[in-house]
Amino acid sequence: MNNKPTLGIYGFTGCAGCQLAILDCEEQLVDLFEAADIKVFYEAMSNNDDEAEVDIALVEGSINTETQKEELLEIRKKAKILVAFGSCANYGCIQTMAYGDGKWEERFKKVYGDMKFTVGKAIEPQPIGKFVKVDATIPGCPPSTQQMLMAFTKLLNGYMPVYPNAPVCLECKLNENECLLNKGIMCLGPLTKGGCTAPCPTHNTGCVGCWGIIDEANHTSELKLLIEKGYKKEDIIRKFRIFGGNNIAEKIDELLEVVK
Amino acid sequence: MRVLKFEKKNTNKLFDVLSKFGEVWAPVPKGESYSYQRIESSKDFAFTDGCTRTVLPEKKLLIPQKFSTLNFNSKGYEKPDEEIPAKIVFGIHNCGISAINILDEFYTTDYIDADYKQRRNKMIIIGTSCMPDEHCFCDKTNTNIVEKGYDIFFTDLNDYYLVWIGTSKGYDIVRVGQNMGIFNEDIPKDVSERFSKFRKEKSEAFMNDVDLEGVTDLMELSHDADFWKELGDKCLACGQCTMVCPTCTCYNIIEENTLNKDAGTRERYWDSCMFKDFSLTAGDHNFRAAKSERLKLWYTHKLKAFIGHFGVPSCVGCGRCIVTCPVDINIKTVAERLKKKGA
Repeated sequence: MNNKPTLGIYGFTGCAGCQLAILDCEEQLVDLFEAADIKVFYEAMSNNDDEAEVDIALVEGSINTETQKEELLEIRKKAKILVAFGSCANYGCIQTMAYGDGKWEERFKKVYGDMKFTVGKAIEPQPIGKFVKVDATIPGCPPSTQQMLMAFTKLLNGYMPVYPNAPVCLECKLNENECLLNKGIMCLGPLTKGGCTAPCPTHNTGCVGCWGIIDEANHTSELKLLIEKGYKKEDIIRKFRIFGGNNIAEKIDELLEVVK
Repeated sequence: MRVLKFEKKNTNKLFDVLSKFGEVWAPVPKGESYSYQRIESSKDFAFTDGCTRTVLPEKKLLIPQKFSTLNFNSKGYEKPDEEIPAKIVFGIHNCGISAINILDEFYTTDYIDADYKQRRNKMIIIGTSCMPDEHCFCDKTNTNIVEKGYDIFFTDLNDYYLVWIGTSKGYDIVRVGQNMGIFNEDIPKDVSERFSKFRKEKSEAFMNDVDLEGVTDLMELSHDADFWKELGDKCLACGQCTMVCPTCTCYNIIEENTLNKDAGTRERYWDSCMFKDFSLTAGDHNFRAAKSERLKLWYTHKLKAFIGHFGVPSCVGCGRCIVTCPVDINIKTVAERLKKKGA
């Protein structure tokens, strides 16, 4: 079949776990390779065609250097549909945890001093949406097999993927767990996009928020609740920031005001 | 209705009888709570006296959390060719049986829900008596004693169980048990006194002082009350209340294609009216965008609207919303707000 949609899978800064998650599909991997003509996939292939125009570009990782930014702009030009693939591309993930905490230049200098870099000029880490138009998203840290395959199926058939706009709590409850917040465990489930099937709370570990903040997240109420449970305001906000990135940075002052 | 006696030493044999009729499901410990699970062997089968309520209610056995309701390909749609197993659900309390009575009304009165009905027809309900904990309030919702809805019901009178037979299906099971000698008609003469004593002890054991007197009318009168916004600000919109409520029925349907195949499934899964997208309509209009509106809808449904349709409220007093909501929004606290407003 010559008219298969073409696909490019590109990676920027991150753990590359999202690309690995594609390979982890195992059983369905053959179906994916049959359904699409894959032009670029460095994590899995050696004969990559960097110049190829693609119908769908999956972009993993955050943008941390000027060089990456230029490469991203090139991908945007070559791709009909650009997909932010995974947490780093979507909202910056842990690379953006210090966003808004003083100036980036100062933070950078504090960590690296006067070290010379050869991989390009470093910039404050950002999700790809800060630089290019993103047409579709695949959430996750890394994306779940089921949700990812659903998204690929839609995209390869010319549709945009949609997801239930429900927090981690939905799947946590479907796993029949007792709510960890009621046990005094700091859990960010109500603030976090679901789709992960809630593995952390199912193993008695509070959700850290790695899939990103859900549209209707009620940080104010969760902050008040956790303070009632005996947590320190600073510790809660630090936890919000780990995977909150720039999305939470804008809310910090407001939150501090609420619990003065 | 015939009443028989069952001795506790025969519990293992009871499992053998029940398992002749299908899969046996009962509450088993999970964390600090319980969950309905399939029991595979008589050594795992017991009257779980410690189980006041499971995390998820009985509805999970009637409408699974996610399942394929139709298969499709280029030729059209068809029902999945699956055998629904008979489920003998043991250990359901009065509130759970009342909830199933409500689900029966909801799913099979005006429009028959085939997915529900085929599972319900294959379910046998074996109730067991219980004592309330501090959160139970089935005495306030008139669901503390059920008159219908069970096939067999066991009332614990300490030395033995009284066995009530509710249906002919229940009687079939009891007859097999009688042949194995585990049910007998030799009921002690003081049974009436013992039973009355049990009823008295149970009614005196309720500790939850939730006051539901008049809340149906107060819901109507409090439509514009300020406290809804306050509760909306507090609500985490986590949806747990709707998952654990034994009478919540909302669901969504999506069609999932199979990668690289000209086929797919129509998936039905539990949804929640507490989620913003539940009330999102075409044209991007959301008629319950505010959380306060969604909370108001839920409590209207539980305390008021269902009465108009079916003559009873759709709250059965199980206490799950009270033990589950992390920010304390539940029937009890909402009733308190309603009463203050009315006073």
